[in-house]
Amino acid sequence: MKTWQKTSVALAITAAVSSAAFSEMPKMGSGDFNWANLDKFKSMDLSGETVTITGAWLAPEDDIFRSILSHFEAATGAKIQYTGSDSFEQQILIDTSAGTPPNMAVFPQPGLAKDLASRDLLTPVSNNIKNAVLNDYAAGQSWVDLATYKNKAGQENFYGVFYRVDLKSLVWYSPDNFADYGYDVPESMEELMALSDEMVADGKTPWCIGLGSGAATGWPATDWVEDMMLRTQSPAVYDQWVANDIPFNDPRVVSAIEAFGEFAKNPKYVSGGVSAVGTTDFRDSPKDLFSVPAKCFMHRQASFIPAFFPEGTVIGEDADFFYFPAYESKDLGKPVLGAGTVVTVTKENKATNAVLEYLMTPLANELWMSQGGFLTAHSGVDTSLYQSDSLRRQGEILLNATTFRFDGSDLMPGAIGAGSFWTGMVDYVSGISAKTVADEIQESWDEIK
Amino acid sequence: MLQQILFAFTAIFFAIGGSILFYVGSNLLIDKLLGDNGAPPEKQYRRDKLREQIRPWIFIGPALLFLSVFLVYPVFKSLQLSFWDREGENFVGLANYIWAFGNAGFLTSVLNNLMWLLFVPTMATIFGLTIAYMTDRIWWGQIARTLIFLPMAISFVGASIIWKFVYDFRGPDSEQIGLVNAIIVWFGGEPRALISILFWNNFLLMVILVWIQTGFAMVILGAAIRGVPEDTLEASMMEGASQTQIFFKIVIPQIWPTIVVVWTTITILVLKVFDIVYAMTNGQWGSQVLANLMYNEMFRNGNSGTASTVAVILMLAVMPIMIYNIRSARNSEQ
Repeated sequence: MKTWQKTSVALAITAAVSSAAFSEMPKMGSGDFNWANLDKFKSMDLSGETVTITGAWLAPEDDIFRSILSHFEAATGAKIQYTGSDSFEQQILIDTSAGTPPNMAVFPQPGLAKDLASRDLLTPVSNNIKNAVLNDYAAGQSWVDLATYKNKAGQENFYGVFYRVDLKSLVWYSPDNFADYGYDVPESMEELMALSDEMVADGKTPWCIGLGSGAATGWPATDWVEDMMLRTQSPAVYDQWVANDIPFNDPRVVSAIEAFGEFAKNPKYVSGGVSAVGTTDFRDSPKDLFSVPAKCFMHRQASFIPAFFPEGTVIGEDADFFYFPAYESKDLGKPVLGAGTVVTVTKENKATNAVLEYLMTPLANELWMSQGGFLTAHSGVDTSLYQSDSLRRQGEILLNATTFRFDGSDLMPGAIGAGSFWTGMVDYVSGISAKTVADEIQESWDEIK
Repeated sequence: MLQQILFAFTAIFFAIGGSILFYVGSNLLIDKLLGDNGAPPEKQYRRDKLREQIRPWIFIGPALLFLSVFLVYPVFKSLQLSFWDREGENFVGLANYIWAFGNAGFLTSVLNNLMWLLFVPTMATIFGLTIAYMTDRIWWGQIARTLIFLPMAISFVGASIIWKFVYDFRGPDSEQIGLVNAIIVWFGGEPRALISILFWNNFLLMVILVWIQTGFAMVILGAAIRGVPEDTLEASMMEGASQTQIFFKIVIPQIWPTIVVVWTTITILVLKVFDIVYAMTNGQWGSQVLANLMYNEMFRNGNSGTASTVAVILMLAVMPIMIYNIRSARNSEQ
């Protein structure tokens, strides 16, 4: 074949492959989505403007995000470039300190955003958007508070919009496997532990736990500890822990870490043994739920994990979730741990405000809702557009919790919440004692005070 | 993918093309401006002198510029920052240095670096020497050498990814895809999460660097071995020396200077090891090294003071070896 023929074949194949990835996203005008939201943007002319956005979303979430933004691009003429990275937390520090930040950054940790705001590396967001959050989001004041930080001069400003919320207190399981062995969904922590022991007695491994995540290795364990903290202590103690008003090595915190250890450090409980916990990637670990024969039966993880289930898994049939139960004996209600990504402006241009407005429309939320792995606090969305009943149920858990708390490690300063807490957890599952790990984390916190 | 390949080729084209353009172009320019143009001999002499004085600066100019901006300035800036606080705003004197020597992570890194220093250059040199010597005599020597040299062509990160798969661990009841665990299971043992084994995981990481650097050692030492005079070898064989005696008593002493150079060059490289540790374990499980610690302090903890301190200490550690290397290179020229 001549060179130009070869090149055109290669290009054709590339085009076919890339278009296939988008075939699932709704086309403009289809479905029950709130397409009318786009009208306001069609009257904006932002052609010539390019907005660069960085975040932690990799495949397949990054493609979904890009396709949602494509409607904004079509309506306004602006160009948006999203790049995701596993080491986003380090990259954004480098980029902002070096003076070459992207226009916008999507932070999985408000604590890190707070750090950057205190160094004047984030641009405050307009009051219009702040009021929109107050009015349109359920518990709007909490979402405004979570994005309000002090700048270098000590002045409090509003810095971003929470787009995409995760529910974290969930345990994923395969209903078929449960039915095969006659297991029931546990309603309390005591029942959960009894169920795990029952599975062990049947010769099975109850749990898959994987902490691997490249430069972010260790973060899934922090979710476990936070959930255990909420189930063993009152929410007031949780808040004190997050703000370091009580030290990290307070006995109550250490016992929450050890409560996590009862699951993760018990060799009979974990698929692959304890040494697999620290080295298995969090995206690979749920796959063991679906292997034949099942290598594990339960996986405690946030609501975004279905994106990493094997292709074709139907939530509600092949996989389902139950609320990670609370201790019946402790009388702490049904606490729920959640998190969210906050979209901030790191280098303003003509289009950044419009992008934020777009992400606040019901449409931008509904488009991702239909793809699964997405929850929103926006009260104006059509909840029937959630991809499945399960997601609707999750949304309801979110809105009806007796206690709702934001992921602690995401609220802690970056050096802890995206640093020593993660590495401390990996050390813990490798054999170091909970007390030593907590001491070290407290030391690193003292260093930044 | 196609876009990235095109990008790479464009980058190579412009980098090489640009360099050629600069050197050839500036050379021609200076010849034109200050060349022979029929002026009287005395003036011509001064022009020639001027031209020849300027010419070296054109050739080393870009390199000097880049070195001063990206190497010399950062050294002084890092030195300064190591005495300032985490944001680089307040002077804190020796506080960062005191922190370093009291910090468990720092001390572990120093110990690990020392282990790396002892293990990697020695092993790479020994392997390089042995392979260079043995492949000299066999007909498939060239093929073997090429294969050993191949790892030098890939980046440290690429090598780390390869070895990440080699050391991969799955649970005992899963199929092992990692070479080492597969061999262990084949012999009836239990698979282990190799990179998380405290203390021994360091050696597993060192193996990667040895794998890469053996090719370098082999090539340099191979050339040195060829430099040993044939007469000496023939004479010793006639005297009845065995192969081992020839190797240890004649070849090695003759090429000793080269062995030292290879050893010190690899040592300097080992002190800087970062990519391998970052990609394989990110310093977890007691495998932290100074360069990775520096990166963590700067970009995870956002503390430019402690990061610069680690950088300065690392630099001080490398300096003696550098000085020795340069000195012996100078001496061997004379």
